[in-house]
Amino acid sequence: MAREKLKTPFLPPVDDPQVRTGVRPLVRPEDCRTFAVAGVVPQIVSSFRSLADASAWIKTLTNEGASVVIRGAGTKQWRPPAPPAVDAVLDTTRWAGIVDYEPADLTVTVRSGTRLRDLQTALHAHRQFFPVDPPFAERATVGGVLGAACNGALRQRYGSLRDNVLGMRVCLSDGTLAHAGSKVVKSVAGYDIHKLFVGAHGTLGLIGEVTLRLAPWPAHQHTLCAAFDTPGTACEALAGFDRRALFPMASVLLDPAAAQRVRSLPPRGACWSLVVRCGGASAAAAAELRDEVAAACRESGARNFSDHDWDGTQSVWADIAELAGGEMYPAESWLSARVSCLPADVPEACLRLEALCPGAELTAHPFTGTIFAAAPVVGEPEADPVQRAARLEEECRKAGWALAYLAAPQHLAGLLRQPVPQGAPVSLMRRVKAALDPSGTFNPGVFLAGI
Amino acid sequence: MQPDLVERLTAIVGPSHVVRDPAELTSYQYDGSADRALPDAVVFPADAEQVRLIVEACREFECPFVARGAGTGLSGGALAEAGGVLIVTSRLRHILELDVANRLAVVEPGVVNAHVSEAAKPYGLHFVPDPSSQGACSIGGNVAENSGGLHCLAYGVTAHHVLGCEVVTPDGDLVWLGGKRYDEPGYDLLGVFVGSEGTLGIATKVAVKLTPLRRTRHTLLASFTTPDDASRAVSEIIASGVVPAALEMMDGLSVRTIEDFVHAGLPVQAGAVLLVDVEDLPIAAAQTAAHVRTVCERAGADEVRQARTEQEAHRLWLGRKSAFGAMGRLSASYYVADGVIPRTKLPQVLGEVARIGERYGLRIANVFHAGDGNLHPLIAFDDRTPGEYERTVAAAADILRACVRAGGSITGEHGVGVEKRDCMTLQFSPADLALMSRLKAAFNPDGLCNPGKIFPTSRRCGESARIASRGGIAPDTARAAGAAF
Ligand SMILES: Cc1cc2nc3c(=O)[nH]c(=O)nc-3n(C[C@H](O)[C@H](O)[C@H](O)COP(=O)(O)OP(=O)(O)OC[C@H]3O[C@@H](n4cnc5c(N)ncnc54)[C@H](O)[C@@H]3O)c2cc1C
Repeated sequence: MAREKLKTPFLPPVDDPQVRTGVRPLVRPEDCRTFAVAGVVPQIVSSFRSLADASAWIKTLTNEGASVVIRGAGTKQWRPPAPPAVDAVLDTTRWAGIVDYEPADLTVTVRSGTRLRDLQTALHAHRQFFPVDPPFAERATVGGVLGAACNGALRQRYGSLRDNVLGMRVCLSDGTLAHAGSKVVKSVAGYDIHKLFVGAHGTLGLIGEVTLRLAPWPAHQHTLCAAFDTPGTACEALAGFDRRALFPMASVLLDPAAAQRVRSLPPRGACWSLVVRCGGASAAAAAELRDEVAAACRESGARNFSDHDWDGTQSVWADIAELAGGEMYPAESWLSARVSCLPADVPEACLRLEALCPGAELTAHPFTGTIFAAAPVVGEPEADPVQRAARLEEECRKAGWALAYLAAPQHLAGLLRQPVPQGAPVSLMRRVKAALDPSGTFNPGVFLAGI
Repeated sequence: MQPDLVERLTAIVGPSHVVRDPAELTSYQYDGSADRALPDAVVFPADAEQVRLIVEACREFECPFVARGAGTGLSGGALAEAGGVLIVTSRLRHILELDVANRLAVVEPGVVNAHVSEAAKPYGLHFVPDPSSQGACSIGGNVAENSGGLHCLAYGVTAHHVLGCEVVTPDGDLVWLGGKRYDEPGYDLLGVFVGSEGTLGIATKVAVKLTPLRRTRHTLLASFTTPDDASRAVSEIIASGVVPAALEMMDGLSVRTIEDFVHAGLPVQAGAVLLVDVEDLPIAAAQTAAHVRTVCERAGADEVRQARTEQEAHRLWLGRKSAFGAMGRLSASYYVADGVIPRTKLPQVLGEVARIGERYGLRIANVFHAGDGNLHPLIAFDDRTPGEYERTVAAAADILRACVRAGGSITGEHGVGVEKRDCMTLQFSPADLALMSRLKAAFNPDGLCNPGKIFPTSRRCGESARIASRGGIAPDTARAAGAAF
């Protein structure tokens, strides 16, 4: 597994006479290249240690007409399209830590630069967790996971990321510091503006602090892997889960190539693997669910099974998370995309994607109708992947599936645009962008339809 | 109202679907709250296109317009606060699609909440949000208020169960926010639309998620000597890593009032009662039920009873759902407050609520979503007693202050509307409110769509806006809403 390493993560701050606020340049100008976004090098990279400082600095940059890219761990820097310009990068990784955690309330308030992994470690001490399993799990920051709406397979049982965000403190381009939502698990006071920031890719403002809804950690977990001849039969098993009223934590469908990348799964040859994570508060409860899941799989024609206890579960799911446009498919050589369709269309979509993109590897979250596809692009003549992408976009449009590019090599990132689904409320989105970021400071031109 | 606009509206929906008669209009000046406002006209569109044409016409004539579902809202959201046209969705009540394979339904906004679950039941599915008013309230109203329900503790509120909405925007466009799929590209406009109290547009279709019905359900009733003990049990259940499907509390006054009304078999001598549902596969459900029982007993429960039959469980829940209706017997009127606090603060804030009642000389009953920390103090009052309504509103405001001080929210599910708009400043700074009005302007630039809601006026929180001729939920509404169960 190739990992892209930060070469100069944190040099000591250097003094810059231009910077009068408490914000510090994080690196010397000659090292800004490390913080390039899809190859576009910023002029200044800075960090902050209080939201007041961040606000003042953002206001300064806005007044200078600068474009600002907010950056957590930088795992999304290869998401197409490449930005037209990046003047400043605002690095959140020094804005880390838990602000408030009351385990008995199942809520936590955390700074956006906190590594998700560090947060989970703190929560695990109280047998709780923030129920999301995004790619780049070892590096990603909470703010980055939210900003990119990196829903993982746990969405099946625990709901979408945005539904587990209770409130936020944000900073807008004019320096406004405001909060939305609340710190309690239920509130309908005012507009839920925090939900807009989930998936906005840093185009509306800086996520400063977030309050999250937590879940009890299922003390007992099993992972069942069942082999099917076709994606269709695997998805029938899922319909069986519904009929039996089974609520596993997560289910993923892996094509043969993707399954081979999961280290602790036994070799399966040409089979499609349905991997199901079963959790319970007791050993008996977890086993009860596992047995029912196995029965549903058998009914749908599963050929063989493997069953992993907790140790196995941990490593299987760590690998599976990285199949969703994550560390498994480094952007230098892979084009990663996400196709969203209705759950019942997953088998057909999988087969169509395989036919369209030879060599592509597929990982689906069949419960939500989400398919992650990675296609190798190394050594191809330049036009080829672009043409193929155009064909893919056309096919998805015709089928009514939504397509989003997650990562692409530098030479492609400049050529691809995020496809706009037919009928998308683009003018409303433009107005929302203009209302929150009238100066167009944050991450301009990289979102949807040039926003 | 301009005659030309009336003519336009009549041409759009037909003469029999426009109300202009002053006597008839008065029945649309109420919702479930204590506030009221008279619309100039009421229209009943038959489809999304008619809604769009109505909105277009209102814009042309610069006339305010307000969507209204069943009118069970408890914050004045559906009141024509600035006059204008009330757009009632009662003819938009078709379930358009029931897609079992994809676990979703597409419904019109006027569909009654409970009807969705009834339609899905033959397939073993249901629509999770189950407000106590589910026999009457509309899906459009649920979306607008982001309504909760008894079983939202484990499974989430309306926002968690809506995939998309077809919306007539305040400037007359018809667009989908979200869709039938997950992960529609672009900003999550659906995320802000749900819960926006009808101020960002009118939903004309709603795609909702359906969820398989759990196989095994156990209903437990635990009675305690004091609300403090019951609160402690709630905190301990949640802290122990168990999130039951439902976890409701009724204090002694509520229990006795409800029992008088519906004879559900509630223990009338109790100081507080917890009603708990656990749902799962058989083994897991049995274990969780046993665990909940142990925690309650450890917290000092006098009795923990488990319903032996489905009918017994149904009767207990019927008692809980009839709470608002039953309160009508306690006093001429009552006022429902709706604050939220962190669950660990339950004992402290319930104590404060009791002291507030004493201070104002008002009786307060508590029937609420304890598992979420969502309080519903019901303040009994009689508006024939001069000043009592004003004291009630002031007491409710003090309760909300206590909730915010404890780190909570001024509303958990009933919305801000007219009723709590002046209390928004308790929870939000001027900068927070300015951000909200920027968002509102992006959707609703000329402010014609449901004006006068959510944002504070110059009044103080707790100052009553008007002398109520009546207060609380109209007995008819409460009965219709509760009795359907
Ligand atoms: C006895 C009783 C019990 C209740 N129990 C609960 C409970 O347990 N949980 C809970 O959350 N609430 C509860 N409520 C409150 C109320 O029932 C809910 O808020 C409900 O969702 C309102 O639905 P409605 O159709 O009556 O909406 P209305 O009162 O008609 O309208 C409410 C708001 O929705 C807007 N609206 C309506 N339709 C649309 C549309 N198509 N598009 C856009 N906006 C629209 C209106 O403009 C208004 O702002 C209860 C009320 C009563 C009377």
